[in-house]
Amino acid sequence: MSRQQSLRIPILAVAAALTLVAVYMALMFAPSAPDVDGGDVQRIMYLHVASAWVSYVAFAVTFVAGVMYLRTRDLQWDAYALSSAEIGVLFCTLAITTGPMWAKAVWGVYWRWADLKLLMTLVLWLVFIAYLALRANTPDRRMGASLGAVFSSVGMLCVPLSFAANRIWTQYHPTVIATSTGGLQASMGATLGVAVVAFTVLYVFLMLARVGIERARDELEELKQKAGDHLG
Amino acid sequence: MLLKELRVEFRNKQTVNSFIILSVLIMAAFRFAFSVTEPPVGDVAAPILWVSIFFAGMLALSPTWKREVEQGTRDGLRVAPIAPSDVYLGKLLANLVVVFALEAVVVAVFLAFFPGTSPDWPALVAVLVLGTVGFVALGNLISAISSNLAQSEVMLPVLLVPLLLFTVVISCVGATARVFTGATVLEIGDELRFLAAFALVYIAAGYLSIEYVLEG
Repeated sequence: MSRQQSLRIPILAVAAALTLVAVYMALMFAPSAPDVDGGDVQRIMYLHVASAWVSYVAFAVTFVAGVMYLRTRDLQWDAYALSSAEIGVLFCTLAITTGPMWAKAVWGVYWRWADLKLLMTLVLWLVFIAYLALRANTPDRRMGASLGAVFSSVGMLCVPLSFAANRIWTQYHPTVIATSTGGLQASMGATLGVAVVAFTVLYVFLMLARVGIERARDELEELKQKAGDHLG
Repeated sequence: MLLKELRVEFRNKQTVNSFIILSVLIMAAFRFAFSVTEPPVGDVAAPILWVSIFFAGMLALSPTWKREVEQGTRDGLRVAPIAPSDVYLGKLLANLVVVFALEAVVVAVFLAFFPGTSPDWPALVAVLVLGTVGFVALGNLISAISSNLAQSEVMLPVLLVPLLLFTVVISCVGATARVFTGATVLEIGDELRFLAAFALVYIAAGYLSIEYVLEG
């Protein structure tokens, strides 16, 4: 058993324990928000923010690992990039579906185009779904790795540009809905902190598991090649 | 490189023709879709114009790199004593010529289908030119990527739409909408600067990263 494999079970245990604590805190410990902020619906925040956080981390890892792959040509980096993109899309989907549920209660609408955070998340989500489609359609492992790395870098480039473009666009679509601001109470902050840490540990576990699969796949390919050489 | 691309493009009239037919059909579809509700032309003009250009343009971008892969000339390009970045620029220029020609047709058809729009021409041309450079610069790079993939014709829009939708397309639609409501070239200076910045950034991105794409 490799070192990474032996680490996996304890990490999963920590993630599971922390998630249970976070669920308890989110449902029982944290106070219900004042009605203007959505009351009990607001509790979805703990899931929503933690998922969004993990997806940002995951996409950043994909980007960095992609650049590292282009520099080193080491397939290990690509395994990180691909695995992280998959997990990122998963959590981003969670964030993007829980968000509107909460938004409908608080803002009265499901989506606000003028909100930069929403826009950024949507762009990232679409870019990385496209990234996965790209990876699914490449016949060759190395080719997929470099094409994917170029694409995710260009995709990252588009995120700040989308901000800038949105500024022009929103001039013509002014927002009429007021933002509900207001700081978090300490107990809410603590709950959110636990939820974020729990999801981050879960991300680390999923990464280890997913990279392990990718590594096993590479080893299998190598073995097949060796076997082929022997037979041929 | 530019001349070679243009020669291939115009020798193969079938592709050029199909872009034109496609853009006319997109326009016609919009014309009939909107004839039911009859919204004010000024409100829908800019989105219609850009959606038509965007989709017909994507079709035009798809074969530039696909050709090289299919005919096995990509390896030739790879070993030829030309830098990959120069291949990119050559194809970019050729694509620009083709897409500009396409846009001239689209705009003419547009004015025929939606009469009563009298934009400020210098402003409209400025938006069209800058928007197209940005669109083609990134589209060219993505076309190079998608040419290596299975189902490359589908993959080009799949990869390109998320990148362009919220940058170039939205800005172009915003700027064009202002032009159609009477803004002059000076009044949309901010929008034009944005579009120019996008174009530059995307050309730089393509110029720098095409090498990795060609290596595959």
